[in-house]
Amino acid sequence: MLNIEGLDELSQMNNVQQLIYYVQQNGPYLWDQFVRHFLISIYGVLFAALVAIPLGFYIARHSKLADWVVGAANVIQTIPSLAMLSILMLGFGIGVNTVIITVFLYSLLPIVKNTYAGVKSVDNALIDAAKGMGMTRWQQTYKVELPMALSVIMAGLRNALVVAIGVTAIGTFVGAGGLGDIIQRGVNASQGGAIILAGAIPTALMAVAADLVLAWLERKLNPASRISR
Amino acid sequence: MTFKKKMKLAALSSAAVMMTACSLPGLGAGLTEEGNITIATQSSTEMVILGYIVQGMVNHYSDINADVIQNLGSSTMVTQALAQGDADVAAASYTGTALTGELGMDPITDPDEAREAVTEGFREQYNMRYFPSYGFENTYAFLVTSELAEEHGLETISDLEPIAGDLTAGVDNSWMEREGDGYRAFLETYEFDFDTVYPMEIGLVYDAVQSGNMDIVLGYSTDGRIASYDLVFLEDDLNFFPPYDASPSALYDTLEEYPLIEDILLKLEGMIETEQMQEMNFIADEYLIEPATVAVEFLEANNYFEDSEPYLEPAGGE
Repeated sequence: MLNIEGLDELSQMNNVQQLIYYVQQNGPYLWDQFVRHFLISIYGVLFAALVAIPLGFYIARHSKLADWVVGAANVIQTIPSLAMLSILMLGFGIGVNTVIITVFLYSLLPIVKNTYAGVKSVDNALIDAAKGMGMTRWQQTYKVELPMALSVIMAGLRNALVVAIGVTAIGTFVGAGGLGDIIQRGVNASQGGAIILAGAIPTALMAVAADLVLAWLERKLNPASRISR
Repeated sequence: MTFKKKMKLAALSSAAVMMTACSLPGLGAGLTEEGNITIATQSSTEMVILGYIVQGMVNHYSDINADVIQNLGSSTMVTQALAQGDADVAAASYTGTALTGELGMDPITDPDEAREAVTEGFREQYNMRYFPSYGFENTYAFLVTSELAEEHGLETISDLEPIAGDLTAGVDNSWMEREGDGYRAFLETYEFDFDTVYPMEIGLVYDAVQSGNMDIVLGYSTDGRIASYDLVFLEDDLNFFPPYDASPSALYDTLEEYPLIEDILLKLEGMIETEQMQEMNFIADEYLIEPATVAVEFLEANNYFEDSEPYLEPAGGE
């Protein structure tokens, strides 16, 4: 009935050879899921950054709030990801948006905390100098605090994205797609070892690559390294 | 709370609602004018293949865009997804599972009665239409090697009676303890026992019987290894096991909106035989071909069932 080549040799292969065979057979599908996985993670972190960076600045100015906000974000972080997905599924149904919201919630803590720490660590003398030059409050934030805190904020984003890529892999259970689909399929197949690798290795590589790129960006944005150049 | 803050809150919550309603670039399906449906499947290889078969048929006969959501954890979850409006079509339910699972009824061993009960239950409780079967059943099956079957002329489970006392049997772990269609009930219905019965992991039974470690095993009837190991499936002549024939189902609302979907699902009635499902499962599991590819190959090999009723015109512009 079905005419697919190379069926006989396959059973003789080891896992690595099977992995190569699987990638050759299903390359485009694998790539689609890779891109999808990456986008889900990125969207979640991006939305979190839009909320958490301004929030971080705000609580740096209103220290009384800081404990409450960081505390709340901490509580969210302690919920296991599978439980969080299941809870959100009740409200938002199955599908990709539930996973993006989950990633969003997990990304809040590292970004808020780092933004807060970054802004707090800006030398008061710099702020005073800015005031002395007649800068408005907005200019102080935009021209002094933000550039000085940027590398620390970036460290928070980096942390968030690496966690996000891991969380997205579990998103397969609410029908979001991504590389988790491939891992899950490998678990279900009777000879699925190679399929599991085909899903897990790209997931790990994506996390490592995201970490390296953002680490590089973090170094670039560090005021100290900008001066020394 | 000041008015301004209230406004902000309202804006935020409406943004959250909008986010769940529409899809972000790169993630959603391109919304087409002809409409969109979502097909939900469980995580087993077989169900995923069926999901992509339905998708392939929809693509072939209509311009409706069909997405497949795979890997949902249980049949209840798939039904809930439809009930909540997250999906429109369930690629496959097994009558016996639907009866005791989603509908919470007692097992019924008569195939027609069981099907009737599920059809009615789905309509009343979930507003879903339970379609006619694809034509295969994924039930428990007693399997022996073809040599043993020939030697003793085995065709049905009852044929085992004179020799059962000499046979060692390997069965699914969970079957030993099951009520209704488990081991104890089996002894009562067929009134014979094997020499020894070993509970095993279900995935291992096929190799166990082929290698001769077991004389007879209880496996799943659509597993691909049955055909490739040349095992013989003994007919359940006393109708002991409840029917587990596979059927698609869909929301009545969806069928009203897209009448074509109804015809497409009816077209698949009785089109997939047990041997074909075995082969597709085997290729997907043992030869690492993605279920989506297997489904398309299957449909192309069968010319998308263009010659079967109800007759439909393939959609042109692809």
